[in-house]
Amino acid sequence: MKAIGWVQRLTPFDRKLLIVVAVLVALSFLLPLSQSVGARVIVSSDDRVIFVAPLNKEQRIELEGPLGITVLQIENGSARIVSSPCPHKICIGMGKVSHTGDLLACLPNHLVIRIEGDSAGEDAEYDFIVR
Amino acid sequence: MTSSSASPPELEEVRRRVFLALFVALAVALHTVEVLLPNPLPWFRIGLANILALTALFSYGIQALWIVSISRILIGSLLLGSLFSPGFLLSLGGGLVANTLMSFGYKLWQNKIGPVGVSVLGALGHVTGQLLIAWLVVIRHPSIWMLLPFFLLFALISGIVNGLAADYLLTSLYKHPAFARLKQNQDIANSEPHLEP
Repeated sequence: MKAIGWVQRLTPFDRKLLIVVAVLVALSFLLPLSQSVGARVIVSSDDRVIFVAPLNKEQRIELEGPLGITVLQIENGSARIVSSPCPHKICIGMGKVSHTGDLLACLPNHLVIRIEGDSAGEDAEYDFIVR
Repeated sequence: MTSSSASPPELEEVRRRVFLALFVALAVALHTVEVLLPNPLPWFRIGLANILALTALFSYGIQALWIVSISRILIGSLLLGSLFSPGFLLSLGGGLVANTLMSFGYKLWQNKIGPVGVSVLGALGHVTGQLLIAWLVVIRHPSIWMLLPFFLLFALISGIVNGLAADYLLTSLYKHPAFARLKQNQDIANSEPHLEP
């Protein structure tokens, strides 16, 4: 592809439009990266929330699933899965999560662990919810 | 040049229908081949069929754009066996947003915008529409929007590529006598004095 030859096929308006669009696209890369550090861990089993805890308190939680017990460790403002009865241990390999919207999942054990941010949700008044 | 006994307006109308049908056929062919090509990145399609939609737009106007585009989506997915499947909904959603943006852009900046500009608008619209449908129908998780920047970047580049191809096609077509009348209309439209203060 010749370096500048193709630009001649663009009308002057096209070139201005392209520059504006290029800037917008570049900006769109910055938006998700300005994510805030999460505030809460929300654990759900089969889309049903079974556990909520703040990220700042260090604790070790045992989560019950169809395959057995998955152990979740919350420390240093992040959460990670320490042990799980699944065959491939992918959830343990996912490592630590700490930003809003981050996800840990142990699919064989039907567990999804999400990090939620500071914005007040319906569970903001509760420290723990066990159902 | 042509030995037709029909009156010029009739002839133009017939030509329009024939060419639109050809454009749709070509668009479907490109769409089908593109989907069958091996691609390391799923869902990152260049959208070559849009080249024909753009050609229809700049030759016959906004209605032609919609005819070619919607027909391509319907017939293409019918041929690929994905009619009314989630993939079809994604294609349709993307196509609708893309067409709306392209019609808007073409109408708003009638004589200033070229095929590349409209193509980029269409590509961005298509990608956004697809993510929108994917978010609403397939994966109801807001994290899907994390993919948007990468899709937008790919759409920008493929939009430029498609636009250049359409521009090349249009300039080649205008040299053919069958498009002589259209070229005349374009020239008249382009040389109209602007009524701006």
